[in-house]
Amino acid sequence: MKLFEGGVRRQPPYPSSSEALQSLLPSTQLHDPNLKVDMAVTKPEMMKSYIWLQTADGSIQQVEQEVAMFCPMICHEVIQKGMGSSKNYAISLPQRVNPAMLSLILDYCRFHQVPGRSNKERKSFDEKFIRMDTKRLCELTSAADSLQLKPLVDLTSRALARIIEGKSPEEIREIFHLPDDLTVEEKLEPLKNTTDDPRIRLLNRLYAKKRKELKERQKLKNVEVEEERVDDRSVDDLLSFINGDSGDSKGIKTSKSKKKNRRRKDQQKSTSTNDAIKNRNKELYGLNSVCCSAEAGQKSWAGVGASSNLHDVEDDIFASKNELDDGDIDDEIDPALKEKIDREVEDFARRLNSDWPERMQEILSFGHERKPVHFSLNGNGSLRRYANSEQR
Amino acid sequence: MSSVIKQRESSRLPSKTDTELDRISNLPGHVIDQILSRLPIRDAVRSSVLSRKWRYKWAKIPCLVFDNQCFDVSSQDQTFIKNKVVNIIDHVLLLHNGPIHKFKLSHRDLLGVTDIDRWILCMSRSSIKEFVLEIWKGQRYKPPSCLFSCQNLIHLELFNCLLKPPLTFKGFKNLRSLDLQHITITQDVFEKLISSCPSLERLTLMNFTGVTHLIIDAPNLQFFDIGGIFEDVSFLNTLHLALVSIGLYVNTENDENNARGNSSKLLRFFVNLPHIRRLEIQSYFLKYLAMGYVPSRLPNPCVDLNHLSIRIDFDDLEENTAALCLLRSCPNLQELEMLARPDEQTSMERSANFWEDDHWSSLFAHLRMVKVVGISGVKSEMDFIKFLLSNSPSLEQLTVKPASQEGEWELMKELLRFRRASIFAEVIYLDP
Repeated sequence: MKLFEGGVRRQPPYPSSSEALQSLLPSTQLHDPNLKVDMAVTKPEMMKSYIWLQTADGSIQQVEQEVAMFCPMICHEVIQKGMGSSKNYAISLPQRVNPAMLSLILDYCRFHQVPGRSNKERKSFDEKFIRMDTKRLCELTSAADSLQLKPLVDLTSRALARIIEGKSPEEIREIFHLPDDLTVEEKLEPLKNTTDDPRIRLLNRLYAKKRKELKERQKLKNVEVEEERVDDRSVDDLLSFINGDSGDSKGIKTSKSKKKNRRRKDQQKSTSTNDAIKNRNKELYGLNSVCCSAEAGQKSWAGVGASSNLHDVEDDIFASKNELDDGDIDDEIDPALKEKIDREVEDFARRLNSDWPERMQEILSFGHERKPVHFSLNGNGSLRRYANSEQR
Repeated sequence: MSSVIKQRESSRLPSKTDTELDRISNLPGHVIDQILSRLPIRDAVRSSVLSRKWRYKWAKIPCLVFDNQCFDVSSQDQTFIKNKVVNIIDHVLLLHNGPIHKFKLSHRDLLGVTDIDRWILCMSRSSIKEFVLEIWKGQRYKPPSCLFSCQNLIHLELFNCLLKPPLTFKGFKNLRSLDLQHITITQDVFEKLISSCPSLERLTLMNFTGVTHLIIDAPNLQFFDIGGIFEDVSFLNTLHLALVSIGLYVNTENDENNARGNSSKLLRFFVNLPHIRRLEIQSYFLKYLAMGYVPSRLPNPCVDLNHLSIRIDFDDLEENTAALCLLRSCPNLQELEMLARPDEQTSMERSANFWEDDHWSSLFAHLRMVKVVGISGVKSEMDFIKFLLSNSPSLEQLTVKPASQEGEWELMKELLRFRRASIFAEVIYLDP
């Protein structure tokens, strides 16, 4: 167990006191009710030296030398600067070490600085020691780190990792009181995480739908149809387009959609939700494009008018969901949950409807901030690279 | 889910109580790194959605481990798995922002695809210190030459790979630990690799192809663990070697080797291991050591040797001679383990009276623990145990575990009778 860093030597404990030392009552002047104190006083006190420590709140206490010297920072102060020998020269501990944390840390040091303990004993002590609420665990980590007590930092970070592991973001936020302050925009970006968690994928789909609706708003305002598509045409397609197929926009569209299907076969469950979103956006804008007839080949768009009425679009989203959605993803999601999500999307859409004017302002300003890379071509509309593929 | 929507709408700014209660986000960077490093990569990356402050904390973790725990792939389609795994690792590497000190790739379904080349290139640019690559399926993977230019490497572990460094390879100056298993490497490359890593302290080599003569030239080597098929092993300049575990997986009943001069393999083996502390002779290695001339004891006793484990065929005269030589050359031996080789139960009682000879008695002054495993009660084995019991005055525990239940009772009855030199000795009989 590597105890010290920076080459500071640990002073050998005085033989007599280390034998007598089991867990003695430290003579403290603290009034903290949370003090964890071992009340077992077993041997009469023998002559031993104490180190004086002062916490940020001004209170001073003395601690047995071998216990305090277990902390590299205190050790450093004593050896290099000669502090801590008396009340007037008490070592001022860093601000992150409050009296409650100090007593916990001293308990830890007191146990571990005894050389004769077996690994098993140490491990079981550590396991019992670490059982405390998360708030104190974080404080303890912070305090131990400022005293450079690496084994305790290791122990606490392991415990914190165990708490975090396997939990959903909401649960983690609740446990640690993290503010849920990612902006709407950031949240609506496909979550860049490498997970296959169906909940995350569901979330992404939800956000994708919301984003679609926001874009719908935007489009309603714009005179020109803004088509944000992903330019996933192959080099051949591009070349053929440049070389003279520019008049046949239909052809382009169909080749695109064919490509899309082919691609979907290859990447059934892509964790990068960019693909899923690209696909969906393409389909949505296919609705409103001039060449929607090309898309009519697709079963899902049969019977969809070119109207951009919101409710129709909503219905289309829900109706076509089954065709568009990846079968694999759906299999894993509870249908009841799916319905709940759909209902919430509807709610959201209605809410959007109600405060539409101010929403539009917001969204328009979003649109300006984003500077998508685009190619302008001779076709209809401008083809833009999908903004979200810009990695932040 | 609805709570998420509501929260988004209500909390635009973090409230004051939140900032007070949130004690984890402001921990120092290296502590957060520690916490995130202990999570599986999936959870670590997911932390980016927790809050504003956590958005990019994960991107600084210095340790990336990609194994089966990270991906829940429940498909059998190879292309699908490959695409998925490649996708995920590409994403993580692209978004990662900071030095990478440890990289481990060990996914059970990933073949040795060329995408790995790309990732190794990425590693070589970020001063990697520990690199572990395990290819569980398919043929041997050949790492690109950029792997051999990672001069900050301290630990390198490769499984199922083909090693062919470029001609300009000058060794890993900082490499302390090397673990190569199921690899293909040529004789020259192997020698060059070992001799050009001056800081090498630990070497593990298992199941290798292409090397027949192991020449280990490593001045700082302390730990050596090898198992495979080879013809010869010699240590040069390995004065610090303390732990050696050697297994020879093929039976060298080679008469030609024996005839080729009387060079003593045993002597050559030990000549450069003056400070050896722990030795394990596994599989057929004792047969190898028994080739050539075997002295009654080594010229320089192994004074530091305190743990010895030998796989032996008690009926083979040469092996017994070699074992006896060893036992007489380690005066400070504390723990001894003799494992009977199971498949060589020849009924030829060639060395029936080997251990009975009284004038070979030597005192094992410090021997405390002995374990004899896999015996079946034949005379040579029982003679050995008798010999041991009557020559170990400090013995505390003798554990005997037979190979099968056949003849247990006779075995036990004999054991009971043996005289013991140590009054503290416990004879423990374990069920087979």
